[in-house]
Amino acid sequence: MDPRLHRRQESEKKGSSDLVVEWLNDASMSTSESVKLTNLAKVNEFLIHKEPKLLDLYLDETLQFSLDRSSEVRKLIAGFLEEAGCKQPDLIPRLVQTLARLVGDDASAVIKRALRAAGRILRATLKWISSVAIITTDMELAWTQLSNLKVAIINMIDSDNDGIRTQAVKFLEGVVLLQTYPDPDAPKKPDDFSLEDIPLTLKIARRRKLEEEANHVMDLLIKFHGSPHVSSVNLMTCMGSLALIAKTRPQFMRQVIQALQLLQHDLPPTLSDSQVTSVQKQLKLTLLGLLKHPASIEFAGTMARQLNQLGAREQEIMKAYPKVEDIRKMKKRQQETAAASAAKRAKLEAAIAVEEPEQQPMEIESVKPPELIELSENFISDRLSVEIATELVMDSMAWVPDVMTSVFQREYQPTSTTDINVQRQTIARLLAVQIKQAKAKRVKRETKEEDAVMEDLIKNPTITVAEAKRERKREKDREKEKEAKASLEAHEKSLKMAKNRLKTLKLSEITKPLQRETKEKMLLMAVGRILGAERIAVLGGVAPVRSKILTTLAATFNPYIREAVLRYITEDMRCRLDLALGWLYEEYALLQGFQRRTTLTSKPQEAPHQAYNFLLCTLVSAIDLVPGKDRDVLLSRLYLEAPLITEDAVEALKLVSSDETRGLAPLELLKEMVIRRPTKQLVFLNVLLCHTGHENNTIREAAIEFVVQLYSRPELAKLIEEYAVLYLGFLRLPNPPEIVFGQDRGRPQIDDQWSESTTRACLGLYLALLSEHQDLIYELARVYTSMGADVKRIILRLVEGPVRLLGMSSPQLLSLVENCPKGAETLVTRVIHILTEKSAPSAELVAKVRELYQTRVSDVRFLIPVLNGLTKKEVIAALPKLIKLNPIVVKEVFNRLLGTHNNDSGIPHMSPITPAELLIALHTIDTSKAELKTVIKATSLCFAEKQVYTQETVAVVMQHLMEMTPLPTLLMRTVIQSLALYPRLSGFVMNILQRLILKQVWKQHKVWEGFVKCCERTQPQSFSVILQLPPAQLAEALKMSPGLKAPLLAHVESFAENQKAHIPQSVMDVIQGKMLPVVADEFDIAPPGEYPLELKSEPMDTDPSEPAPPGLD
Amino acid sequence: MPAQNTISIAVICSSNMNRSMEAHAFLSKKGFNVKSFGTGDKVKLPGNAPDRPNIYDFGTSYEEIYNDLLTKDKQYYTQNGLLHMLDRNRRIKPRPERFQLSKDKFDILVTCEERVYDQVIECMEARSHEDNQPVHLINIDIQDNHEEATVGSFLICELVTVLSNSDDLDNDIDELLHDFEAKCARPILHTVLFY
Repeated sequence: MDPRLHRRQESEKKGSSDLVVEWLNDASMSTSESVKLTNLAKVNEFLIHKEPKLLDLYLDETLQFSLDRSSEVRKLIAGFLEEAGCKQPDLIPRLVQTLARLVGDDASAVIKRALRAAGRILRATLKWISSVAIITTDMELAWTQLSNLKVAIINMIDSDNDGIRTQAVKFLEGVVLLQTYPDPDAPKKPDDFSLEDIPLTLKIARRRKLEEEANHVMDLLIKFHGSPHVSSVNLMTCMGSLALIAKTRPQFMRQVIQALQLLQHDLPPTLSDSQVTSVQKQLKLTLLGLLKHPASIEFAGTMARQLNQLGAREQEIMKAYPKVEDIRKMKKRQQETAAASAAKRAKLEAAIAVEEPEQQPMEIESVKPPELIELSENFISDRLSVEIATELVMDSMAWVPDVMTSVFQREYQPTSTTDINVQRQTIARLLAVQIKQAKAKRVKRETKEEDAVMEDLIKNPTITVAEAKRERKREKDREKEKEAKASLEAHEKSLKMAKNRLKTLKLSEITKPLQRETKEKMLLMAVGRILGAERIAVLGGVAPVRSKILTTLAATFNPYIREAVLRYITEDMRCRLDLALGWLYEEYALLQGFQRRTTLTSKPQEAPHQAYNFLLCTLVSAIDLVPGKDRDVLLSRLYLEAPLITEDAVEALKLVSSDETRGLAPLELLKEMVIRRPTKQLVFLNVLLCHTGHENNTIREAAIEFVVQLYSRPELAKLIEEYAVLYLGFLRLPNPPEIVFGQDRGRPQIDDQWSESTTRACLGLYLALLSEHQDLIYELARVYTSMGADVKRIILRLVEGPVRLLGMSSPQLLSLVENCPKGAETLVTRVIHILTEKSAPSAELVAKVRELYQTRVSDVRFLIPVLNGLTKKEVIAALPKLIKLNPIVVKEVFNRLLGTHNNDSGIPHMSPITPAELLIALHTIDTSKAELKTVIKATSLCFAEKQVYTQETVAVVMQHLMEMTPLPTLLMRTVIQSLALYPRLSGFVMNILQRLILKQVWKQHKVWEGFVKCCERTQPQSFSVILQLPPAQLAEALKMSPGLKAPLLAHVESFAENQKAHIPQSVMDVIQGKMLPVVADEFDIAPPGEYPLELKSEPMDTDPSEPAPPGLD
Repeated sequence: MPAQNTISIAVICSSNMNRSMEAHAFLSKKGFNVKSFGTGDKVKLPGNAPDRPNIYDFGTSYEEIYNDLLTKDKQYYTQNGLLHMLDRNRRIKPRPERFQLSKDKFDILVTCEERVYDQVIECMEARSHEDNQPVHLINIDIQDNHEEATVGSFLICELVTVLSNSDDLDNDIDELLHDFEAKCARPILHTVLFY
């Protein structure tokens, strides 16, 4: 400060300064706190508001009170120095130490007051050092002290005192606001001061460093805000500070809103209920306040949700919610800045070489002026030569106004001194001031400023300074001019560049975005043209490019385009499948994130694979409509080439493949897919398996065939097997499971009874697999035991084919027979039946069956299929049981034994028993084992087989039977039947009859009856036999068959006499009825050897006349 | 009680008529440095029908309102106590004051309902901050009738007494309010604002 100034003021304000001195004295002398306070308050008021000029003088004295014992006094001093510093920043260097001391005071009230003061002093200081031209050491020192103080205060955020923390937070808020750039959009308030206003050249306070510090402080604040043990007062203070920062410094909006969200979910646990309410209320109000702020638009949604949770009313939220047009504006602006930056980037790339050298002059320019200011005074006085002065005067002569201006008149003071150096100094100072002003103006007005400077510059000296000095000025001026010119040039250059840049920017600015509809319409038209240019593109050799364009457009632009392309493809699937596949791959790439999706089509509500899935399914259904053979080819191409088969697409294929009209191609495709798409293998296999239970025969059989083909792949075998067994297991259920019904199985209606169709559905695959994997047969037997009767029946029928395929040699089948589970006998029987139907049972099989029959199941039916493998003895042993069975079965048994009805196989029939033996065996069956009736039935069955039981056979049988003793009961019946069948056997029969007489046939009642009956039937040949009967038996015979008597008599009468002579009289008597056979009883009991002569002689007579039956000898 | 002189208090309700004035009267009687305000747009008083309230601008003095009601329906307004209330008010200060227009700085602001509390916060946050002097804003819900206003004024007085006896209010207020809340069994809202 200029000491003269003080002196003058002192003299003028003598009275008031006395007052101040008096008050200060009183205050320091008094011991009463209130006296001190009143006096100091008066001093404060007086110095700050009434006589600020005295402040400088009494500052130190007043500051002395900062050491006062009373905390109230110290507090007042803190307020005083705050006011003083703000009013007269040049006093700050003298204040800082006191301030620092007060901040470190013991009393919390003083500290709080000092903290408040510190915030404002910091601001005032920064403002001050930004405005002055030269930084003195004092200022530098003060700034350093203040910076230290700042760090100290930042640490006070951890103080124990709640109020101090509160004030510290507010101080930090001030630091952040002060040391960051303001919102460029917000209107600037007159007393606002921020980083923007700090000159770049300020060495002691670099913008970048300050901003870094502010960011650090901001982080601290947010950390404090989120700390778990913060008190409610601090929390709300901090919240308010953050909100204020966010509003005035929108660059922190995101951080602040995140902090608030975090808080809402995680309130400090130390808060009491009402504090929680207060905090939540504060949070709500803060959020509402932020929501109104334009910078928070992008977070509006989440904030509204948050508010909702806090219980804010809907209308409250809506009132604060940004307007729709604001949102749109914001978005537009974002796009614009994006576009601008894009343009800039583009330009940068283009003109990177030009840009760099251009920047340098600008820097020089911005650096130079401050140097000018600082140096001007000395610089000018040093260089103010005569020449310069002359030139200055000469040049400015033209600018001198005709009349003296009033400003000049008022302000101009002629120099009183004659000292040339003093005069020179004065001129130099004036010039410096002028230049400084000019510099300030130049910032606003652009180029012409230099001229104006010259003008002003020239005016003054011209009039005021002596001629001799003009010369000096001229030189200075020239130099000035040069500099000015240089800076002008540089400026122009940069301006030009700016203009250039402006122009390019403008181009993008003036092009208004098209209407959405227009844009879309044009887009669609463009796509239409590309679609239409198929042929041209092919001719031009750019078909791949075209398809790339189309696929990209279709995949990333709006649905209309998608639709257009899709329609184009489906119009001619045959030729455009490649395009479709290209598109599919494009979609797939988007889906997988191989490509960045443009913002144009981001549809967050859509599932990520929706687009791809939709396209694929549409293509499938489009192919479905293609007529002809191509359809299948296209379909398999699509499925095999598509990058990913979605579930819907699988479903579609399933549907297609269950359509019989489509033939087997889709099923074939399914099989291919199983093989060629290993990742989805199981899915397709499942579909195929599903079809193995299809109602439709064609599809089922085809599906089964494909599955069996796949069964050969080891990785799938187990799975298929499990599936088959699972379905086999279903057969155990009382009702068919729901799974076999449904549209996809071709059985839309659920049936609760097993039918052949459903049984087939469950069994088909299994049976098909049997031939591949014979071990599976055990499973069937296991399941079979617990099946329902209906199902069993169906199974017995269905099992035929596969079992036949397996053949008799299958070890598994044999072992099944061997280990036949209980309850599965019918199945095993059936299996054996099937095996033996067409061919003779193998020895192994027979052995197994025999073993089974003998050890476990004594059902004779088991034996039937293997009868032919058994020994004769076994067959005969089983015969009584066999003939007791159902007649049909018996017939079957005989068929097997006799080899009838199955000779079409060409294999010679091998039977353990000849027909004759069989018939003989039948006759020898013990009546205790089988009733006569059943035996009769069995024999008649034999006789029915005329091809087998020929005349000869029958004769052999009769021959054998007759030789048996005792005679078989049915002998005569068989004889009679044979005779009926083959009348030519009568001679042979006569022979038998004669022999029977020899065997005293009458002793067996049944046979005797048959004998008589036979004689009756065979008359007249039998007469000769009858005549050989002993008279008693003859009489009996005649009695039994009275019809015989007359013909016999006639026969005897016709005899020649010599012949008659051969007939014993007793016989004749019987014939003629003369003598009653009185002695019949005697004869009856006569021993058998009584008439051997008679009997033996008879055949000798008759034999030669009769033809001997064949095979008799 | 030296502290009572230094602490400055504002009691705020909607119309600066009943609740704030009741407390104002009581607190000044107890020697506190107190002022009272309303935050509403207008001064509203009940009329002789629920849908016809008496509405005045904030500039209107208690005297004028008193006279207006006197001429409107003397008996009715005497009976419902409005005239008595206005009579009391005009002895305390000339006219209702709107908080938003006040430039005074206080240490404690007491509001009588939540809506008023919100309005005070809104108003304080809209102001540009000068020197960061803190002020505690406390809300105690008081129903807008004579009896509750009287009870409320006692409560406010009790609270303010407790607060003013604190050596370091900023540090102690959380605890003091917690105790007071337990005692008076009313929910209390509290926050700190800055000038």
